[in-house]
Amino acid sequence: MIDEIDAQLVELLNQRSRCAIEIGKLKRAYQMPIYSPEREREVLERVRRLNRGPLDDDALRRVFERIIDESRRLERLAAESSDGLEKSPRRERP
Amino acid sequence: MIVIMEENATEEQIARVVEKLMQMGFDVHRSTGVTRTVLGAVGTKVVDLRELELLEGVAEVIRVTTPYKLVSRSFRPEDLEIRLGDVVIGGREIILMAGPCAVESREQVLEIADAVRQAGAKILRGGAFKPRTSPYSFQGLGEEGLRYLREAADRYGLLVVSEVMEIGHIPLMSEYVDILQVGARNMQHFNLLKELGRQPKPVLLKRGPAATIEETLLAAEYIVSGGNPNVMLCERGIRTFETSLRYTLDISAIPVFKKLTYLPVIADPSHGTGRRDKVPPMARAAVAAGADGLIIEVHHRPEEALCDGPQALLPEQLLELVGQLRQIAAAVGRTM
Repeated sequence: MIDEIDAQLVELLNQRSRCAIEIGKLKRAYQMPIYSPEREREVLERVRRLNRGPLDDDALRRVFERIIDESRRLERLAAESSDGLEKSPRRERP
Repeated sequence: MIVIMEENATEEQIARVVEKLMQMGFDVHRSTGVTRTVLGAVGTKVVDLRELELLEGVAEVIRVTTPYKLVSRSFRPEDLEIRLGDVVIGGREIILMAGPCAVESREQVLEIADAVRQAGAKILRGGAFKPRTSPYSFQGLGEEGLRYLREAADRYGLLVVSEVMEIGHIPLMSEYVDILQVGARNMQHFNLLKELGRQPKPVLLKRGPAATIEETLLAAEYIVSGGNPNVMLCERGIRTFETSLRYTLDISAIPVFKKLTYLPVIADPSHGTGRRDKVPPMARAAVAAGADGLIIEVHHRPEEALCDGPQALLPEQLLELVGQLRQIAAAVGRTM
């Protein structure tokens, strides 16, 4: 049972990550900051409202903080690599 | 790096810290606790902690990784014991190293070696090559001095520690001494440190008079990273604004070193104060503070000493001091 759920979680987390990567590229294209505290707060608030237990709100918040941490990182990596494509290769400083 | 927020930090303050960490190139792991929020910053960037400490709502910033690696206590939690025959430096016993500032003659070293042995010293100190502030001061007897040191130490069952001033002297000195000392002025002579890392003798590394604790540990890192794990640190006084004594013996460096590193810590109250009457109190303080050893200058006729006579204890003063130190050692769970 747990194995099955974990498999679904992995799939869902990766779906979510793919979205984050796309968002990262868009943020870069529109010169928007990777970090948006308001959006993070919204996500956490929405998750809290959806919660029906038995996980308590704080526990769920801690889990989602990890997910958000990783999304932020993915967005940054995506933004940096699309950044790299637009710029000419780095040269050694003289 | 870990940023601990104040208990009453607002979401806006937390967001500003997260933003700053990201600008600095860190990935942030946010953890909202019951009373405080903790931000873990993941990355290898070296930053000035003050940039974060000064942000509003920040209670504390903790650097997890230190610039020194091999000498850090996180690398090796248990104390290092340097074994030289029966003598263990860094163990329960506090080791006394004593002897003249400089070797002046065969008779002088023999007489002082006998006296310090009777006081309980395990290691004979003495300079053969002297780094002097003035080029007109006595520069030492050189190899002749090393021979006298070895002879006196062997006669009285002592080990020898003496300062090595340059790379070229390492092979010669290694023939005569058991511990190679790096003087305070040479603490950041990095090429000398590298060479000492490639040879087998233990090294007593003196803290430079203007070196921070971190710089001292980085100097030790040079030796250890070269392959020689047997380094002991020595607090010998730093320059401060205070002028009443030659230096300010940084007693507090002893517990700080003991926390940050597993290397044995020796205190030198002779150079640290520069005055005979101040040596016993600072020696007592050093033992109370957790020093693993003391290095003390002794001269049977200090008024005739060619080097630093005013800071040399008389043999009978050393004897009296050791009696006191034994009581302090017992009080802090050590022997002497």
